[in-house]
Amino acid sequence: MSNFFAWVAGSGVVQGVIMGLTFAYLTTVLILNAVAKAQTRTINGWSAIRRAGQPGNGLLLRAALQKALPVVNSFDEAAYWTATSDAAGRRLQGDRAYRLHFAANQLPPNDAFWSLTATDTGGYQVSTASGTSSVNSHSGLVENADGSVDILLQAHEPSDAGRNWLATPRGRFKLMLRVYLPGAGIVDGEYAVPPVVEVQS
Amino acid sequence: MNRLILKYGTVVTVVILAIFAWVIYRRVADGGVAEIVLLASTAVVVWVFGSFALIYFWPRITVGGFKRIFARRGLGGGPIPVNTLYASPDSATASASSGSVIATGTDDVLYVGGWLDVAAGPQLLHVPEMGERYYSVQFTDPVTGANFAYVGSRATGGAAGDFFLCEPGYEGAMPHGTSRIDVPHRSALLIGRVFVADDDDREAAYALAKQIQLAAV
Repeated sequence: MSNFFAWVAGSGVVQGVIMGLTFAYLTTVLILNAVAKAQTRTINGWSAIRRAGQPGNGLLLRAALQKALPVVNSFDEAAYWTATSDAAGRRLQGDRAYRLHFAANQLPPNDAFWSLTATDTGGYQVSTASGTSSVNSHSGLVENADGSVDILLQAHEPSDAGRNWLATPRGRFKLMLRVYLPGAGIVDGEYAVPPVVEVQS
Repeated sequence: MNRLILKYGTVVTVVILAIFAWVIYRRVADGGVAEIVLLASTAVVVWVFGSFALIYFWPRITVGGFKRIFARRGLGGGPIPVNTLYASPDSATASASSGSVIATGTDDVLYVGGWLDVAAGPQLLHVPEMGERYYSVQFTDPVTGANFAYVGSRATGGAAGDFFLCEPGYEGAMPHGTSRIDVPHRSALLIGRVFVADDDDREAAYALAKQIQLAAV
């Protein structure tokens, strides 16, 4: 019996199993990421996956969408967009300042509310200068003279008070826009979230 | 843990692959290509079947992960027993330092979580009068990861209500005035969200979120 175990250990079977499992995991991650990417619609740097959480997805798709957006709401309950890079395609960095400009009447249409959060790249909230890392449709956002809305995204509080400000974490970060009970423009795919543009802070 | 994997995933992968390369190199150097035939064929078989199994089970693993988080850590208030719902009084940002799963959420909703299991008998979900306040309770299937049912402002309206949760084949009596929801695989991950306008509104939202409750029939 001990001969058998010695043979197993020396033959490479154990090492083969370990390597096979590792490769299986890596392959799965690559496949699921690729499938999720194919389902992702990215406009202005904002990515959304409409079929996440929907019943009726096939074996590969449901696995890929659970990996991309685990246990999220169905799109008609809440639409999610994420962004990790700015309009120029550069990764979002906490030491830079950005502006998100919504033209007049172009805030996300909804029957409930929307919210914008800044998190670390893993999606976790981090402590920020303002003590909160979200702005939403009830934040009392200040409109510009033409009815448009600018949200400033930077780590420190803007010098001129009264600006709409979303505090961002240090290092690379991720933005997530949630729109609960998305309106017709979102459901039919017409609405596009405006790009995140870098500005001088 | 997930945060660490996400952060150092590439580095860890490179180190592991380097170790594998070294193991294979040592074997070939010691005894030629014959030394790695069994290793390589085992690896290929495990690789192929393992990839299929992982993809097949991925939704179960993910939803099961949430089940374990709820059962062991909860949402900041300790373990959440099966068939009870816990409402988190804290905002996502306030949970940031704890590494709690709540910290992946947003500040604009209070989260409610729990694991439903109707194998031992039906359960009742009670929701209070929410009026115009947005709320939802999402039912996620543990096998497919799909949201098979919703209770909430969109799905069922803002009035108070009681929902009878049972396995699909259930033919017994139902309490008067309840709406039936079939639970396909006899268990589900429940995630509730109750809108919070601002910090002043948090207390009122929490008082309502706490009333979203499960009870045995």
